[in-house]
Amino acid sequence: MITQPSSSSSPAPLPADGAEAVQQALGAEHAAVWVYGLVSAFLPANLDGPTLEGMTAHRARRDATERLLAAGGATPRPAEPAYVTPQPVTDQASALAVLVTAEVDAGVAWRAVLERTDDAAVRTFALEGLTGAAVRAARWRKVAGVAPVAPPMPGVP
Amino acid sequence: MLGLLLGAPVAPVVLGACTTPPAAPPAPDPLAELASTARSDASFARAVAAAVPSLATAAGLVAEARAAHAEALQREVDRARPPQPPASSSSATPPVVDPASARGRLVDGLRAAEKRIGELIGSVPRFRAGLLGSVAAGCASLREVLG
Repeated sequence: MITQPSSSSSPAPLPADGAEAVQQALGAEHAAVWVYGLVSAFLPANLDGPTLEGMTAHRARRDATERLLAAGGATPRPAEPAYVTPQPVTDQASALAVLVTAEVDAGVAWRAVLERTDDAAVRTFALEGLTGAAVRAARWRKVAGVAPVAPPMPGVP
Repeated sequence: MLGLLLGAPVAPVVLGACTTPPAAPPAPDPLAELASTARSDASFARAVAAAVPSLATAAGLVAEARAAHAEALQREVDRARPPQPPASSSSATPPVVDPASARGRLVDGLRAAEKRIGELIGSVPRFRAGLLGSVAAGCASLREVLG
């Protein structure tokens, strides 16, 4: 799991149902964007395509999540200046490992949203987030040669 | 309740039009259908894995994951409605033809599960939303494995 360097979040009354879960998912998206920015230097040019695709997907989702929270009357929490990776990223293998971690974290966060809201539109949005993260996690495991490439139940913590 | 049912005529005889209709049976659990398709997907994938060497690894993974989906979905169906009727006859596994169509059929099965879950996701209880989300995401990542 990728962690924030300090616990800076203060619990605030959140009006919308499931808003806290959505904030957590936003945090995972912020972290994923940061991770994609970090790893590019350690990956070969032939992985530029999927790296850019992942970065673009997480940026778009981060922005959409911020809009969702704002529309619900909540203040989207900002990104941390930096994040702590489980292992130092020093080469291609550790870069791929942290990409898988970021996608797994995002999947867990979006599944948690599914379990904490009854709003159909938010659920559909969360399902897309969980699915996208699971597909990219499988893609990176495939590149890294990590098995199983596709665990049966992504998002289960 | 059981005694009354046993005593009632069960043969499909045509009665008068003015007969009081029996109480409607409870609506089928939508997860039962998802569990059933997951089971047939798993059994088809097992057949493909055995018959098509080029797909052995990927189809084996699909078989394992879809069997896990079937088990998780069935567990939830049984939890929600404990008196379980005897397991319905297992659907016949369609014959494996050539690698391309086998792969296509595996992908179609996964897509169909994702689509059905997309339809259900907004209206199921919260616990089920998480379960279904993981199954759909699992199906999508299996498609990534199949390439």
